[in-house]
Amino acid sequence: MILFIDMMNSIREFLDTGGQVLTVIAAVIALMWLLIFERLAFVLFGYRAMKNNIVNRWFAREERRSWNAEQIRMATVSKASSALNHNIALIQSLVVLCPLLGLLGTVTGMIEVFDVMAISGSGNARSMASGVSRATIPTMAGMVGSLSGVFMVTYFQRYAKRQTELLEDKLLMQH
Amino acid sequence: MMKFTFNKKALLAGFAMTALSVGSQANDAKNLDELLNQLAQGQIAQTEQNKAREAQFVARKSEQDALLKQAVNQRDNQIKLSTELEGQFQDNELALANQTEALNKRLGELKELFGVLQQVAGDTKSKFQNSVISAQISGRDSFLDDFAQSMGSTSKLASIEEIEQLWFELQREMTQSGKIASFEREIVLADGTRTTANVKRVGSFNLVANGKYLEYISETDAVAELVRQPVNRYLDSAKELTNTSNGQVAFALDPTGGSILSLLIQAPSDRERVDQGGPVGYVIIAIGLVGLLIAIERFISLFLIGAKVNRQLKAAKPRDDNPLGRVLKVKEQYPNADTETLELKLSESILREVPKLQSRLTIIKIISVVAPLIGLLGTVTGMINTFQAITLFGTGDPKLMAGGISQALVTTVLGLVVAIPMVFISTLLNTRSKGIINILQQQSAGIIANRSEKGA
Repeated sequence: MILFIDMMNSIREFLDTGGQVLTVIAAVIALMWLLIFERLAFVLFGYRAMKNNIVNRWFAREERRSWNAEQIRMATVSKASSALNHNIALIQSLVVLCPLLGLLGTVTGMIEVFDVMAISGSGNARSMASGVSRATIPTMAGMVGSLSGVFMVTYFQRYAKRQTELLEDKLLMQH
Repeated sequence: MMKFTFNKKALLAGFAMTALSVGSQANDAKNLDELLNQLAQGQIAQTEQNKAREAQFVARKSEQDALLKQAVNQRDNQIKLSTELEGQFQDNELALANQTEALNKRLGELKELFGVLQQVAGDTKSKFQNSVISAQISGRDSFLDDFAQSMGSTSKLASIEEIEQLWFELQREMTQSGKIASFEREIVLADGTRTTANVKRVGSFNLVANGKYLEYISETDAVAELVRQPVNRYLDSAKELTNTSNGQVAFALDPTGGSILSLLIQAPSDRERVDQGGPVGYVIIAIGLVGLLIAIERFISLFLIGAKVNRQLKAAKPRDDNPLGRVLKVKEQYPNADTETLELKLSESILREVPKLQSRLTIIKIISVVAPLIGLLGTVTGMINTFQAITLFGTGDPKLMAGGISQALVTTVLGLVVAIPMVFISTLLNTRSKGIINILQQQSAGIIANRSEKGA
């Protein structure tokens, strides 16, 4: 329990030194990883069942050569593809947002530094330190957040593309 | 020598008079000849006058001699008096030095003590002025003031009572700084009204009332609510302190005794910050508002269309109120068309629907790109202002440059603040509209095929 309180305190302190922007970045990263975990769960468990279902239904059809069959196949593939691509664009935009928010934090931190300069009228390094930490910590957090997401997003995009192609190959037409 | 000066003065006076008389007569002169005539007459009059004056001076000369003699006499008398007084002064001086020496000898170590007392009284006074304990116990510094002054003058000695009073005040400050006290007092609220409130004092650190931090202003002996309060987390602890009468509470105190809290007032509010951005800042905000309105309109309409399309997917009969329904109707409109014609007709009707779904999404995208660019523009204009200030006033005073720099930074912030949600919103809207278009493009044919198979 004490360990937990200690941890919460240090996190709170970190968020305080980073300023409000850091809180926003934390929320964005949390949302991003929530979506990433949802995608991971779909890739690992949901998609396999869905694919088997589609393939079984396709081969259960008696007739697989008419225009109707072709259209139905295309519709099935596109449904699967849209399920695979679900939320990926959102995750990607969150990945892009992280460094932008970091930049926002940098600028607000710099404003604070110049505020201190305007009030104290001198370049006292110690009094500017809080502003400088508010400028640098969000930048770092934004970078780390977007880097952590970039790999996952690329993986999901490639996975969706490959699986769509594989599905197209699997649903054979009779000629 | 004296005579010469007199003569010179007389001459000067005569000249001035001539000039005056000529000046007055010159006004009446009709022509140059007449003027010359007048001048000549004036000269004659002047010489006569001068002669009369000289006679007068000579007559008064003996009178002046008598006066001189009298003055010399007076001077001699005064000199005599002065030497007498000087002698007396030196005697007095000697006596005074002796007396002072005697006093010093008798005072002995007491003199040092009085010096220390004066210094301590002065220090304590300035300490009490800054201490929040003075809000509870007022009028302490007037005694200290009198005490320090009387210690400074040599004619007065400190009484035992006074010394004990100083000790008492110091001890009281020390004891009170270890206590949390609660007392009724008149306070000035942030809006300027005065009320009596129950004030809680935490040692010599902070004053709290009604869950707000207070400051003590020693010049007017007033307790005022801070115009800007610290963040809610700290205010909550202050509220907790006001509400509990005993027991332990966590409290965020300002260890500097209020000087950190008073700096809060100097930090500009959000509104003032936005104003620092200048016209460029307002342009960015306006663009952001336009983008927000478009986004809200798009969200609502795409949500409604999406719901209708979903209903259509489940319904058997195509309906006219949604894009998918209109595309599916193509099949009913051309019941006898062959597959290729049907496909062409389908894609044609889909092409009619796409612009409605994607309209105005580009504007949001553009805003998300343009807002940081305008922010950059503001940055550059702000820097231009800064450099103008530098060329005018030099780099000596950072305060002069602060205006331009804050404009530069605030516009960048505003640009990012507008761009970040716009990027997010445009992704969301794009996904939604692409989802609907996807249903139209790739599934409408499938749905038709499915239905015709089932119907067959």
